[in-house]
Amino acid sequence: MSIEVVGVSKRFGDFLALDDVSLNVRDGSLTALLGPSGSGKSTLLRVIAGLELPDSGTVHIRGADTTHVPAQRRGVGFVFQHYAAFKHMTVRDNVGFGLSIRKRPRAEIRERVDQLLELVHLSGFAHRYPAQLSGGQRQRMALARALAVEPAVLLLDEPFGALDANVRKELREWLRDLHERVHVTTVFVTHDQEEAMEVAEQIVVMNEARVAQVAPPRELYEHPGSEFVMRFVGPVAEMGNELVRPHDIEILPLPDWGAEEAMVRRVNHLGFEVRVELETTDGRRVAVQVTRARAVELELEAGQIVWLRPDHRGALRANRSAA
Amino acid sequence: MRASRRLRAVALAYLALLLVLPVGMVFYRTFEHGVAAAWAAVTTPDAIHAFWLTLLMVAVAVPANTVFGIGCALVLVRQRFPGKALLNSLVDVPFAVSPVVVGLALVLLYGRAGWFGTWLADHGIQVIFAPLGMILATIFISLPFVVREVVPVLREVGSEQEEAASTLGASPWQAFWRVTLPSIRWGVAYGVILTTARALGEFGAVSVVSGKLAGQTETLPIHVEQAFQNFDLAGAYSASVVLAALALLTVLSMNLIKREEVTR
Repeated sequence: MSIEVVGVSKRFGDFLALDDVSLNVRDGSLTALLGPSGSGKSTLLRVIAGLELPDSGTVHIRGADTTHVPAQRRGVGFVFQHYAAFKHMTVRDNVGFGLSIRKRPRAEIRERVDQLLELVHLSGFAHRYPAQLSGGQRQRMALARALAVEPAVLLLDEPFGALDANVRKELREWLRDLHERVHVTTVFVTHDQEEAMEVAEQIVVMNEARVAQVAPPRELYEHPGSEFVMRFVGPVAEMGNELVRPHDIEILPLPDWGAEEAMVRRVNHLGFEVRVELETTDGRRVAVQVTRARAVELELEAGQIVWLRPDHRGALRANRSAA
Repeated sequence: MRASRRLRAVALAYLALLLVLPVGMVFYRTFEHGVAAAWAAVTTPDAIHAFWLTLLMVAVAVPANTVFGIGCALVLVRQRFPGKALLNSLVDVPFAVSPVVVGLALVLLYGRAGWFGTWLADHGIQVIFAPLGMILATIFISLPFVVREVVPVLREVGSEQEEAASTLGASPWQAFWRVTLPSIRWGVAYGVILTTARALGEFGAVSVVSGKLAGQTETLPIHVEQAFQNFDLAGAYSASVVLAALALLTVLSMNLIKREEVTR
């Protein structure tokens, strides 16, 4: 195991940020810490990095107990949401900072920085200052800076959170490619389930200072362990006392066993998929996702009466007390 | 449009009447009888001594308050502890208290009859009526500037860059020198300049503890006042011009820094 967190708790005044959290991260894996804001995911990352000291529990990195080792000697690379670029240094000096602290020879630093700038596609920007870079470029520089010291683990705290949607998408793909090439154990924090699903091999869902579930993306989506996880990782429709994914509901033109009557209120064509908003006889609103072909076949339009049949295999019994 | 022009005229007239005219008058009076006469008046032994003593005040007070100011600003911005609000207000005391009171307080502490007076006298250290006391007074009076200039800059910079430096292997000391200090350098520079200006011009507190001994404990401002009291108008005016020139130099360097900061 590359990172082992055992029974970590952390309190900020009255606020409990981490409540007896344990976590294992495999060597060379790409893991996402996913959760709503205030769920403790960033605090957990900062505890692993040594930027925050846990009140109790231990952190091991590559088998060594690092719980009380200061950040400067943990050998972790950390990337901040707002880049934390050294504003008074050029891109070259930013990337070379860790190496120059380690007093490596100049020529070696130069060579290594050149390689890294190549890796993050910033070769032509070595002499610029961070203020002269775009947000995406700054974040790539921050990544190169973190990688320069060959960290045991790479930790990213909402790395794409401050970027606009297009750059974000591009950087996601790029991070996956990078991980395939560099293969450093990577953990990143995000509140965006799509980002977690798209990038990570393993997702750790956090909620209210605890780990809610740990699973690969597909398993998490198909077999959520709790109502919270089910709702958090994708859209849900409520059918009776069950929670179902909108694409796990079949629309039938005629009554059938186990199907519930509903009226079509609105049909949204979103390219390949069609989103149908319906209202059941007892007044509940349900959103269903069908393919374009199915929508055409059913000749769906507002006002039409249809029957809904959920696929129970992916359903979860709703628990009204704990949302 | 017309209102703004009128406002500008009022502002300029105000400045001319209260600032330009008096200072211009001093310059005019100084060089009234030629440069040679003015030069002779500022090169008397007492005037030269006052000049060097003033620079000594600056040379000690400015570094002392720069180091203290940066440290104090770091504590105020980065740390949480009981009594922080008190420390924050204490820093402003030199702004609020009249310099004469500061001088008197120092006399009460370090003077012959003061708390530390006897002990100091026994050990042969003279504070009051000596440069040491004047330095203490200058440090006290010019203490808040660096703190007040650095605190907002430090707050704006935040601690993320330092955290990044520490994850990259920098010790707190390395992070301070290579990341924190460079990122607050303009704030420090402003603070240093304001401290210098204050230390150069301080009269009240310093004059109380100095004893005003010509050639011994006279700084330039005290020298000006003494010369004026003794009807040595030429001496007073020309020493004033030297002071004004030093002040001008500090203001000029401030403007240079401003320009540098803008181009960054």
